[in-house]
Amino acid sequence: MKILLIEDDREAASYLIQALDEAGHVSHHAADGETGYAMASSMDYDVLIIDRMLPRRDGISIIESLRAEDDNTPVLILSALGEVDDRVTGLRAGGDDYLTKPYAFTELLARVEVLARRSSPNEGETHFEVGGLSLDRLSRKVERDGENILLQPREFRLLEYLMKHSGQVVTRTMLLENVWDYHFDPQTNVIDVHMSRLRSKIDKGYKGQILHTIRGAGYMIK
Amino acid sequence: MNSSFRLWRTTTFRLTALFIVIFVLAAISLLAFMAYQSSIQIQRSQTVEIEREIRELVRLEKVRGIRSVANVVQKLARRAGPGIYYLGDEKGRKLVGNVSNFPMEVLTQNGIHTFNYSIEQALPDNIGNNTKGVGYALVSSRKLKGGFRLIVGRDIVERRGYTSIIFRGFLFGVIGIVILSLITGGITAKRVLKRIDSISDTTDKIMSGNMSQRVPITKRNDEFDRLATSLNDMLDRIENLMSGLKEVTDNVAHDLKTPLTRMRSKAEAALRKGVSAKDQRAALQATIDESDQLIRTFNALLMISRVEAGTPSGSFASFDVSEVAKDMAELYEPVAEDAGIELILKTEKEVSIYANRELIGQALVNLIENAIKYAGGGKAKNKKIVLSVGEENKNVRIEVSDNGVGIPKEDRERAVERFVRLEKSRTEAGSGLGLSLVRAVAKLHKGEFYLQDNKPGLRAIIEIPKDKQ
Repeated sequence: MKILLIEDDREAASYLIQALDEAGHVSHHAADGETGYAMASSMDYDVLIIDRMLPRRDGISIIESLRAEDDNTPVLILSALGEVDDRVTGLRAGGDDYLTKPYAFTELLARVEVLARRSSPNEGETHFEVGGLSLDRLSRKVERDGENILLQPREFRLLEYLMKHSGQVVTRTMLLENVWDYHFDPQTNVIDVHMSRLRSKIDKGYKGQILHTIRGAGYMIK
Repeated sequence: MNSSFRLWRTTTFRLTALFIVIFVLAAISLLAFMAYQSSIQIQRSQTVEIEREIRELVRLEKVRGIRSVANVVQKLARRAGPGIYYLGDEKGRKLVGNVSNFPMEVLTQNGIHTFNYSIEQALPDNIGNNTKGVGYALVSSRKLKGGFRLIVGRDIVERRGYTSIIFRGFLFGVIGIVILSLITGGITAKRVLKRIDSISDTTDKIMSGNMSQRVPITKRNDEFDRLATSLNDMLDRIENLMSGLKEVTDNVAHDLKTPLTRMRSKAEAALRKGVSAKDQRAALQATIDESDQLIRTFNALLMISRVEAGTPSGSFASFDVSEVAKDMAELYEPVAEDAGIELILKTEKEVSIYANRELIGQALVNLIENAIKYAGGGKAKNKKIVLSVGEENKNVRIEVSDNGVGIPKEDRERAVERFVRLEKSRTEAGSGLGLSLVRAVAKLHKGEFYLQDNKPGLRAIIEIPKDKQ
């Protein structure tokens, strides 16, 4: 995957580039807004990671210009500003996701990978299948090895999100944001409790594990 | 000198002076108009009277002849008063009367005439009291049969008197009014100045460091008292915030230093010789966890201060609070169940509110997490948390109650302060910021947050006005 990182903190950027490379991505770095904008508009990237506060040109204006030019490359906004309003302005300007500094690299990586997939055409799919597990969005049926599994509505949405991003790490905050539509940071392990319930329904008593816990990152269905 | 100069510079005094000038100008024009009007009026009524006398005399001449007229004119001329009577021959010589030297046109032309004359030489003693100066006469002249000329008129003494009376009245009135208004203006200005001085004295004292000073309030309950009250309220708020800030700074120092110290010692221990790679990894992981907790604390602090500063109302929208409560109950129900606590949701059908949905959700989460943490410690057999949303007197009431250990009455106020965790040891997980954020969120929505005894347990209540703010 080809990623452009526009970030003025050189040390943070070099860690991030290194980590992205280790994760198997090709990443470029721009240290200020103007250079970043020039690179983003002249080359093809799968995902742009843009810091909000940049020298010479701020992140929001870069995104607005790109969107005005019909460039729909997914954008992840990085920001030290984490309040609801800042998130809203960022997303309104055309950003696709918003991550507050400081962040865990696993969180950033998971979000970047999901963003890159978003531009590929599985968006409209109605039927997902992973191993022996299948989920149908129209009939709202979930089956494991041919057996029907009854899920609560929220459990269904949880599984739906996980299966839509099968093979990708999904973090707890991503689940809270996308399945529950809240952006707060819970102190307790709420998501883990829901996941263990889901797991007991779709994995327990079947051969082979489908729902995996990725340590220090989140969950993955594969 | 200095004080009278200050008095002059007050708005009240300047307004008074301005009003005096306007008043005097208005009085002058009013009086001038009145004087003009009344002189016209006097002249008109005199003219009517003169014409009537002339007509009578002309008729007398027709009936009884000129001799009889001369007799009457002579009698009339002798009477005391402002009357002017004259009967002369065709050559302009006076036969009878009390005035002789008329201007030429009066002796030759019929009709009404007015003219000035010198009283000393012209009028006999019996005319008027004003024997000095210039007289003003209004006469009617008529030529009779045989060339005789009859003149009847009045010396308009009233006119002179009137003018001087008006002028004197005006002078005394205006001087009196000017003096009175200057005095009252001065007194008012002085009083206003005194009140203002007491306010600026207070602010001076506060600026020099005495935060407990307040503007004195009188019993008059006037606009200055209202100003003073709102100033005092503002000062209370500022003082509160300042002492709060000091406490927060102390607590931040303590609460952030402790985990930082722990992190530092862990890293140091891992660097020592003879530590296995596995243990080093574990130490690094522990450092990351510790810093995550620190970041979380920072985020909570930032969030509280941003909410307290007031987020722009652009983030407000109308939504159903019961829906949010339902989401949260559903989200936390499994967590509560794992802790052996029943989470019960009680909501009315739809409770619409104009608010920031994220913040209301966050406040609810803080209350539920708090309840789960403390409900477990209670003695009740069936531990439970009740989350209810309802409407009461135009307020939306969000309530989270548990039957756990509760908070003693004397600690309830303090529990809402930043970083206050009531167990002294501070060993329990959590930043001690949860309830502070709830209060900040309630305040942002012009509402209240308070804690009550649930007997046993704690009842946390958020009340937010339902109206669009």
